Amino acid sequence: MKRISFLVFFIAGLVHCFLLRAQTLPPVDKSPLDISYYPYNYPVLKIQNKITEPLLARVIYSRPRKEGRKLFGGLVEYGKLWRLGANEATEIEFFKPVRINGKRIGKGRYTLYAIAQEKTWTIIINKDTDTWGHFKYDPKKDLQRVELPVQRSTDITEAFTMAFEKTVTGINLIIAWDNVRVAMPIVH
Amino acid sequence: MKGSLLLLPGMLCLLLSCGPGPGDGTEKVEPANRDTLQPASPEPLSSLYPGVDISPMDMCYYPVDYPKLKMAKSTEAPPKARVIYSRPHLQGRNLFPDILQFNEPWRLGANESTELQLFGDATVKGKKIPAGRYILYCIPTAEKWTFVFNSNTDTWGLQQDVSKDIARIEVPSTRSSQRMEYFSMVFEPNAEGADLLMAWDTIEVRLPFKF
Repeated sequence: MKRISFLVFFIAGLVHCFLLRAQTLPPVDKSPLDISYYPYNYPVLKIQNKITEPLLARVIYSRPRKEGRKLFGGLVEYGKLWRLGANEATEIEFFKPVRINGKRIGKGRYTLYAIAQEKTWTIIINKDTDTWGHFKYDPKKDLQRVELPVQRSTDITEAFTMAFEKTVTGINLIIAWDNVRVAMPIVH
Repeated sequence: MKGSLLLLPGMLCLLLSCGPGPGDGTEKVEPANRDTLQPASPEPLSSLYPGVDISPMDMCYYPVDYPKLKMAKSTEAPPKARVIYSRPHLQGRNLFPDILQFNEPWRLGANESTELQLFGDATVKGKKIPAGRYILYCIPTAEKWTFVFNSNTDTWGLQQDVSKDIARIEVPSTRSSQRMEYFSMVFEPNAEGADLLMAWDTIEVRLPFKF
């Protein structure tokens, strides 16, 4: 009897330990986090001594996958606020002041949101950082909104993607998922 | 010893410079590394954009799950700390010696250097670390790991510029009965602040922060 109760306690202890650990250490996200820099690939360029322009911006975002779903006009409802990623709110950081749609945006960290429509998207730059998704979105903390045309492509992007590209006037933040691509111009 | 540590980045550079060049710098060329095994046949991806990493990135906050606390309006105070790191996995290997070697610096993750952002001043084992962004790397041995706070941010993890080291802190290495497939980092609150717990394979290391 004593032995059995010891065994029960031992097993309960093991289960307890396992549950505790399962709670403490996070599993790998289904929509993993990723980071994009401008200049493109800046961290690698840095260790290769190939930097030709100073660090300007980076975006930290989570990458949900299409997985056969109807995304725009389906999972991402037209006209509704969308967190532009998954999990933690998508963060953009500028390492020097920039201009977006004519407005000066100072150096610092910001949260990005979007409202997708069939032909245009509105990108929102908001100063409430370190939050989860769009669930506590406060429009009073908006810094700028910019409406951008939707470009459609035959190439399907499976994992939600954000990256910067150089343009004649500055850079674009490229946002791509499914067959849709949007480019937000940033002047620096 | 110090000489050989300094030699290591140089040797990596030499190795890299022998490989295919990065062209005009617009294509993503990732230096060879040991913490991540590339799959034999990568899944097909959209040709235009970077694929999803085999060692995915993750972040952890202190207070734990801060963004969710903020969403639930159960906190008004700003966060204390955030770590952004990549999560390599064992892929059938043992941490030592297959992936890491004793006394060789490790980027504490994969891909980009692991970043620690302190939103206010912190103290780690009596050393004051001012608010700011840092990279964290480590030098593991069998009994203890040395953690290095370094100011050379936004860099790839395979080279450390020791001239930008801010503080070096030694903590004991401990064993866990649970084997972690993916490298994991999380803040564990305690009476004085929080330990940054790092776990991979059966090794656990805790870096104690006071905020």
